Amino acid sequence: MKFYLILLLFIVNVNVCLSQTEMPNLSISTITEEKVNLKEGFKETDKIYVFSFWATWCAPCIQELDALSESYEEWKEEFNLEIVAVATDDTRTQKRVKPLLNGKGWDFTVLLDTNQDMKRALGIINIPYTIVLKNEKIVHIQNGYTPGAEDELYEKLKSL
Amino acid sequence: MKYIFSFLILFSCSFVFSQEKNQGILYGNFESNAQWYLNDKINEREIRHPEDPIRSNNYLLLNYSIENFTFGIQGESYLPNALLNYNPKFNETNIGTYFLNYKSKKLDVTAGYFYEQFGSGLILRTWEDRALGINNALRGGRVTYSPSDYFSITGLYGRQRTGFDVANSDIFGFNTEIKLNKLLKLESSDLSLGLSYVGRNEETNIPNPNFEDLTNAFSGRLNFSKNAFYLSTEYVNKSKDAIITQSNIDNNFIKPGNALLLNLGYITKDLGLDATFRRIENMSFYSERKPDLYTDGGGSSSFNYNDKILNYVPALTKQHHYNLANIYVFQAQQKVDFPDPTILKAGEIGGQFDIFYNFKKGSKFGGKYGTKVALNIANWYNLSGDYNYFPGEYDVDFIGSGEKYFSDYNLEISKKINDKLQGNLVYINQYYNKRFLEGGEIVKANIFAAEATYKISKSKSFRFQGEHMWADADKKNWAGATLEYNLNQKLSFYIWDMYNYGNDDDNYKTHYYNFGGSYRKGASRIALNYGRQRGGLVCVGGVCRFVPESKGVSISLSTSF
Repeated sequence: MKFYLILLLFIVNVNVCLSQTEMPNLSISTITEEKVNLKEGFKETDKIYVFSFWATWCAPCIQELDALSESYEEWKEEFNLEIVAVATDDTRTQKRVKPLLNGKGWDFTVLLDTNQDMKRALGIINIPYTIVLKNEKIVHIQNGYTPGAEDELYEKLKSL
Repeated sequence: MKYIFSFLILFSCSFVFSQEKNQGILYGNFESNAQWYLNDKINEREIRHPEDPIRSNNYLLLNYSIENFTFGIQGESYLPNALLNYNPKFNETNIGTYFLNYKSKKLDVTAGYFYEQFGSGLILRTWEDRALGINNALRGGRVTYSPSDYFSITGLYGRQRTGFDVANSDIFGFNTEIKLNKLLKLESSDLSLGLSYVGRNEETNIPNPNFEDLTNAFSGRLNFSKNAFYLSTEYVNKSKDAIITQSNIDNNFIKPGNALLLNLGYITKDLGLDATFRRIENMSFYSERKPDLYTDGGGSSSFNYNDKILNYVPALTKQHHYNLANIYVFQAQQKVDFPDPTILKAGEIGGQFDIFYNFKKGSKFGGKYGTKVALNIANWYNLSGDYNYFPGEYDVDFIGSGEKYFSDYNLEISKKINDKLQGNLVYINQYYNKRFLEGGEIVKANIFAAEATYKISKSKSFRFQGEHMWADADKKNWAGATLEYNLNQKLSFYIWDMYNYGNDDDNYKTHYYNFGGSYRKGASRIALNYGRQRGGLVCVGGVCRFVPESKGVSISLSTSF
């Protein structure tokens, strides 16, 4: 019980005090198997990066990316924006990422987080999980997806 | 342990308030999954809750990063005991993993616990999966040197984590990745080569062993892609080692292992084709040969908990998200297993084929919003050849299929009908050789499921899913339904039921109902659930954990910071 109390105090404390504000110093593979450093590769001034963590077997993730895909063209006209779909599929399903992207007609930048290094470095527990990055700072986080969340994300992007 | 936490509480804010540039950042996550098990009565059957009816698994991960250094520590607490059927070694509150990492542009050095994967993981993968109770990190050191963007080399040494201890063996690893296209200046294609080595040195206490303490595993990989076409292949060899029979080292049954993986695909706009072939022979690979045996829990062994597992051999089948499609789940058959004289297995051979297609908006099948179709076909067999039960021996063919283990033919169609309504239809045909895979009858099943998501307003929506499975054996027919209601982006409720109405035994005609809700905000989530859990395999990424039937209330809490 005492342990729980200490933990709870700690979590409240930490949450009040801080949250992760930057991308970790980590290199992961793109869909074309180029390595990209998360700190170096996504730092264009005033550009908005939306990282969406997904997997080929995660139904709400696919729903979210379908929804983002529909608005992507319009959003790109309005904002300097890049959507990065981070596939957390391990080697069981990773080979299905490429054909699925095409079968879905998605036009996102895709990263392969095969042993979940990026997911772990960001402390992510469950997917879908969305992070918005601007000027090297994490400015918005949303975990889970329900239909309509893309409208809320759009409002958020407008406010940045 | 508690002192560490107290220390962190006192100082976490001072870390933060002094968090100017170059003062570093503190981040991590916390997850707690607790369950209160209840007694249950199903028709004439009674299921008693375990001795400790309230159990929880808790994890706190803290990382502190400054300049090129990151320090991390993970505390784990299984209070007063781990959830049912977790590895019995997870039984206390203690530090699970810790590490110190230095990373510059060319050099990446880790001391402490680390996660690593060589190639597709067929000879080495260490990872964490809390839902399965897997954390097989290596404790030792790892250095990766990447002098250019076309070459990297990794060397590692460690002992593998088991519970809050490490296994009694030494693991050595080496890996290199070379981008040949950059080296050879090939402009329009992509060509890369990977080579790996993993050595496991475990002293054996068997008198006059017919095998070496050191087992060597090698892997060679080649990836190629040009325009719309891609191909990758991996060949793995494991040196001669004793086979484990009835949880014991068999000093007269010594065999090498190998695996071949071949994947090719073709992608173009709106179309994706992918085919995989894999042959596995005697590829079980653990940091200790002989499993730990547990007397409680029906005589299980550490193999049942995926404890001390060094490599990753996932089942290459589609991972379905429908409830009834996860009753007969195939697990890869990488090990030599002779449970009785009529069931003699040395591995598996088979393949999987996928087609993804997008019927464009405005086309005949596409309609106003387009239609997406996914077809998946998977077939897996035992290796054909000559087998002898006692003394144990086999001589298998390189190409050739023996007894069929499993097949799954499925078609999924998803379509946006209008701005409010989205629909999914799926048909799945499965063949599950329960006799060969876990003991029981051969099951042929057909599953049909339909799913609809309806947006009531900007943020309110509900999802309905109906499923039915026709099965000719084992537990026979099932029906299932799910209703999910999303009040807004933060709050959701759900209720679902799976009813095994077709079971021949009236006492097993059971409703597995569940209801609950979750609240999400930013990086935090809390979920509450009440219901009855179907006994069977819980699988994540093709690795499974057996869970017993149970009823109870569960609460899970997670946050990242």
